[in-house]
Amino acid sequence: MIKNKKGALEFSFTWIFAIIAGMFILFLAIYGVTKFMNMERNTQDAKTAMGIGVLTNPLESSFETTTRTMIGLPVETRIYTGCKNLSGFFGEQTIKVSQKTYNEWSTEGVNVSFPNKYIFSENPAEGKNFYLFSKPFELPFKVADLIYLTSTKDKYCFKNAPNNIKKEIENLIGLNPSANENFFTKDLDCPEGSINICFSGGNDCNIRVNVNSNYVEKDSKKMYYKGDALMYAAIFSNKNDYECQLDRLMKRTGQLSDIYRDKSTFVFEKTGCDFELDSRLVLLKNNAENLGNSENLNTIYSLAEDIARENDYGVCRLW
Amino acid sequence: MVNKSAQMKNKKIFQLPNKKNGQGMKSKISPASPFAKKAQMKIQQMSFMLIAVFLFFALVGMIIITVKFSGLKQDATDLRDRNAMLLASKLANSPEFSCGEVYGNQKTDCIDEDKVMALKENIGKYENVGKNTNFWGVSNIEIRRIYPKYENITCTPVNYPKCDTIILIDKPISGFDHSNFVALCRKEKYKDEVVNKCEMARVILWYEEVK
Repeated sequence: MIKNKKGALEFSFTWIFAIIAGMFILFLAIYGVTKFMNMERNTQDAKTAMGIGVLTNPLESSFETTTRTMIGLPVETRIYTGCKNLSGFFGEQTIKVSQKTYNEWSTEGVNVSFPNKYIFSENPAEGKNFYLFSKPFELPFKVADLIYLTSTKDKYCFKNAPNNIKKEIENLIGLNPSANENFFTKDLDCPEGSINICFSGGNDCNIRVNVNSNYVEKDSKKMYYKGDALMYAAIFSNKNDYECQLDRLMKRTGQLSDIYRDKSTFVFEKTGCDFELDSRLVLLKNNAENLGNSENLNTIYSLAEDIARENDYGVCRLW
Repeated sequence: MVNKSAQMKNKKIFQLPNKKNGQGMKSKISPASPFAKKAQMKIQQMSFMLIAVFLFFALVGMIIITVKFSGLKQDATDLRDRNAMLLASKLANSPEFSCGEVYGNQKTDCIDEDKVMALKENIGKYENVGKNTNFWGVSNIEIRRIYPKYENITCTPVNYPKCDTIILIDKPISGFDHSNFVALCRKEKYKDEVVNKCEMARVILWYEEVK
């Protein structure tokens, strides 16, 4: 009996050693696998974010047209669009995504940056299918194409929209609205729980657009606009992102002013064609780069209109 | 009684080291006994086994990570490829390149050569805007006149427009490319009149493989 007990004790020591070492290895393995899975998820999220950015390339338009495309993702996704106006000369559009796997949202992935994109969307936009449409932003020359991203889950009801807006939305919807349609112009068609965008007052409005004073009121914050492109931008984004993107757009306006000024000198030396816009382009650049916020858009727009008139009726056109 | 004496014996065998008399870890099994040697062997065996198992898992992990990362690089290169391909078809419409209404009505796939030359002079701000990338996310942009041909001359403000190729970013061209045919238009003076001159060209977007 004593002999047996001794044997049992010797056996136990080996086992205790094996169990502790095994647990250590198992812990390391589980830790490694978890880390690897997280890395895999982050990679997937980054790839999706980059893919979304790349897919917006075809939205670069040549005419004043509004085009819409749909992107479908294999799983439920949250798209976070962000804006950095201090990074680089032109700032950056950032995109990151979080995807739902096994009924659980992954942590927000890494930010993928695009210096040449301007995306306006809810933050985050959540769903499996997303509509993208774009409109050119001009001041007075084309500065960029603004891209609007909406989830098909978010239904937007445009109430009492002016005719041009209504027509444009109806063009986007097309003759046969799809089951995923998320824009509605007729009150009766608006599904329950839709986001109401009111153009001339009314009750139950989530977003109010004042077409006379040129501002959009969302979450009790006012975003001033000029032109339809900025109006849609204000509707689909939030105050912080809108102001930041506007700042980025102004930086690009300033840079394009420089290019057009150099071009006018260049063409004048070559052909003798005088555009007479140099001083006003300098002023436009200064105004654009010192805009501050959307409230000051009126000043720069009156100058832009003046420049546009000069360009349209000049002997040679600069753009 | 037997149990009690056995417990006593066990106590003696596993007594704590006695530092005072310097006889710590003294057991009744002498180090020379075959039991002790067997236990040492077993521990040694297990240690070797554990090291082997650990190394095996580490090796497998490293192989998986290497394979995964090589795939990741390929994915990143594919995304660059797709970006260049889609951008090539639309670059002519972006504000820094497009003709606008300078040469009559709005045109698609029309590049304003005078504007591109002005852009080349201002390219500094478009370079290195992000993490080792330029504004368009490609390594270089080249606009090559197809017809009429000069002698493969790269354009500078001095020889313009009697040249063939505008290389936007001043660095050697390398990597892979995607291209698109465009109209390349500029203003010219002809018999005291300012005329529009449009020629055929190719816009080539270069991108590099992710290493």
